[in-house]
Amino acid sequence: MDMKRDYYEDVQVFTSKVIVFWLGVLILALAIFPFVAKNYYVYVANYMAINVIVVVGLNLLVGYTGQISMGHAGFFAIGAYGTITLMTQAHFPFLLALPCAGLVAALFGFLLGLPALRLEGPYLAIATLGFGITTTQIIGKIKIFGERQGLHAPDLTIGPWHIQTDKDFYFVLIPITILLVLLARNIVKTKVGRAFISIRDADIAAETMGVNLTFYKTLAFAVSAFYAGVGGGLYAFVLRFIEPELFNMFMSIMFLTMAVVGGLGSMMGPVGGACLLGLLDLQLRNILEIPYFGQWIKALSESYFTMTGVSNIQLIVFGLILILIMLFEPLGIFGIWIRTKKYWKMWPF
Amino acid sequence: MKRNLLLVLAVMMVAVFGLCFNATAEEGVTDTEIHIGQWGPQTGPAAPWGAVARGTDAYFKMINADGGIHGRKIVHHYFDDGYNPAKTKAGVKQLQEEIGMFAWVSGVGTAPGLAVKDYLMDKKIPWIGPSAGSRHWIQPPNKYLFNTYPLYLGDAQLLVRYAVNTLGFKRIAIAYQNDDYGKQGLEGAQKQLAKSGLKLVSELPVNVADTDMKPHIMKFKKSKAEAILLFVGPGHVARLQGTAKAMQFAPQWMSTTTCGDHPLMMAITKGLYAGTISAAFGLMDPSAVGLGNKADFMKPTLPSMVKFKKDGYDKFAAKEERWGSTFCAGMGYVEPFVEALKRVGRDLTREKLVAEMEKIQNFHSSMGTVSFKPFDANDPLCRIGQQEVFLLRAEADGTSTILTDWFKTEFIPMDH
Repeated sequence: MDMKRDYYEDVQVFTSKVIVFWLGVLILALAIFPFVAKNYYVYVANYMAINVIVVVGLNLLVGYTGQISMGHAGFFAIGAYGTITLMTQAHFPFLLALPCAGLVAALFGFLLGLPALRLEGPYLAIATLGFGITTTQIIGKIKIFGERQGLHAPDLTIGPWHIQTDKDFYFVLIPITILLVLLARNIVKTKVGRAFISIRDADIAAETMGVNLTFYKTLAFAVSAFYAGVGGGLYAFVLRFIEPELFNMFMSIMFLTMAVVGGLGSMMGPVGGACLLGLLDLQLRNILEIPYFGQWIKALSESYFTMTGVSNIQLIVFGLILILIMLFEPLGIFGIWIRTKKYWKMWPF
Repeated sequence: MKRNLLLVLAVMMVAVFGLCFNATAEEGVTDTEIHIGQWGPQTGPAAPWGAVARGTDAYFKMINADGGIHGRKIVHHYFDDGYNPAKTKAGVKQLQEEIGMFAWVSGVGTAPGLAVKDYLMDKKIPWIGPSAGSRHWIQPPNKYLFNTYPLYLGDAQLLVRYAVNTLGFKRIAIAYQNDDYGKQGLEGAQKQLAKSGLKLVSELPVNVADTDMKPHIMKFKKSKAEAILLFVGPGHVARLQGTAKAMQFAPQWMSTTTCGDHPLMMAITKGLYAGTISAAFGLMDPSAVGLGNKADFMKPTLPSMVKFKKDGYDKFAAKEERWGSTFCAGMGYVEPFVEALKRVGRDLTREKLVAEMEKIQNFHSSMGTVSFKPFDANDPLCRIGQQEVFLLRAEADGTSTILTDWFKTEFIPMDH
């Protein structure tokens, strides 16, 4: 949003020292977090971090390249199954199996990107949706993937370090997350990122200017699928058990919703969206424990809903939050951030 | 001398307080309460199974109203996981780490259960009566996990046996849900038929999202199936039977325990379920009712069910709650647990609970006769308490005719 004065200023990953400072503070806070938070919240943080990885990758495709995907649960599944299978069958160490599974997902992303060259909007949405559903159906038929009975994640060790608790896994997951977010930020600042953006803004104009649409569109799918694959590989170790039904259509829609609520075409927006919706997804269960409001909600639901009304209230509140964000801030969480930043810069005017 | 006396007194006090502390130190147990956790979907596509948790809740409230267990009330913490394993794990961790559950009971679904199994077992927290007939609960067996739900394999064994030996059918087909539940049915049917030198004439997967059953019925019709095993959910049973009627195809339908709520099935199939043979593993006793006699699920005869209806369902269930088999199963799955709690006595610890669970032999619960064995890491059967099923035929008036007595099913281990 800020005015750039020269090319080199535009391609910098960190546009100011203030950002570097706050990033350092964030990393420090993340490092301290598991030592001060309860174990449950470390699990929640792990869940949020996985969402961040997938949504940042999805944002490269949807937000920066203007392509839609409603089948990211398929790539996520490929990453999860790929990581476990490479570790158990090919005896790859975790740190090798994870990127390899991501690359397998990227290959499928590339293949899905090919029909995307001729499809747009709702047609592309349907094609990707079909991919997501088909992937889990195929996985459910393959014996090495445990068919419908699923797979257990093996014991996780990195060198001499035996990773057993959520806290242990946090220290694996968070550095990977930070690394991938910075990588995404770097991609956006390079020639590739500019090609993505030009395709999003006007693909014909981009092609006229020499941007190879075939290459960059399929690359966007591959990169985005790589992120989802890595996220899936990590997810398998958060749950420690996977089965095809986990990677359903709702999961794909949830990823897309996180990207949109966060704010498409920005880097911190999807991070915020993934964190907020990931947190709400797990925490709205406790809505009745909010003083006064919880009691009011309970009385309301018991009067006007069925006996499962209290649970349905969670979904209603979830939907309401999405509607309110979109209604008052179409740019999502990123829009709120921009407005806040402007307010402080302009203060007291 | 006085100093020594003080020292002895101090040591004694420490010992006495230490013992007192140990006696009440078990997580989730106080002088007046026992905290028990449970998950179950109250929202989403699996929400109908949420009635299990509500049934357990009404049962625990009934026990509390009767005075609790050895002076302690059961505090039941159940939460909605929407059948999403990530949410199941979050809820279990939060309740376990912030409040501290003494044990976990029931818990709907294979995937949600497997997401938390290692966590609970690593912490040596007892989990009794998972609400799914999965082999994962017992293979390999875990010291702290007790399964009271017969495997789906068993349904297939008895249904096929009855179809071949009693009804004399040779051409048997199966519609199976494309998941662990359906695949177990398929495997059980194939292996049981092989004993009679037969094979399935048609085996068709049904995906949860499938709505059009015409292709399935056309294939069944073409295969000239005399009996069709239904290892699908209630909604798909209704669709399959409706489509078959429209296509003038009338095989003998044979269903699993999951469609054993005959009044409900008659309602959702608009009467087409009449004549369907279904497996069951409790809520009535076929031996007591007698072969060929009718039983009305809405008018229970088992003493435990009669009491639960009067003192649990009528008093504590929400007014919209339906008296159904899913709701009642919420009691059935945890009855052995409550029995073990009673046997342990006032000095309640997890190890003592496990020891008493292992001693349960021929315990007549609402869900059949339950027996466990001492833990043996090489014997999956030491952690499955109930392996018997029986058959019922749905009648047009919503009642059920008893077709067989209890049948002990055979365990078939998973390949991997």
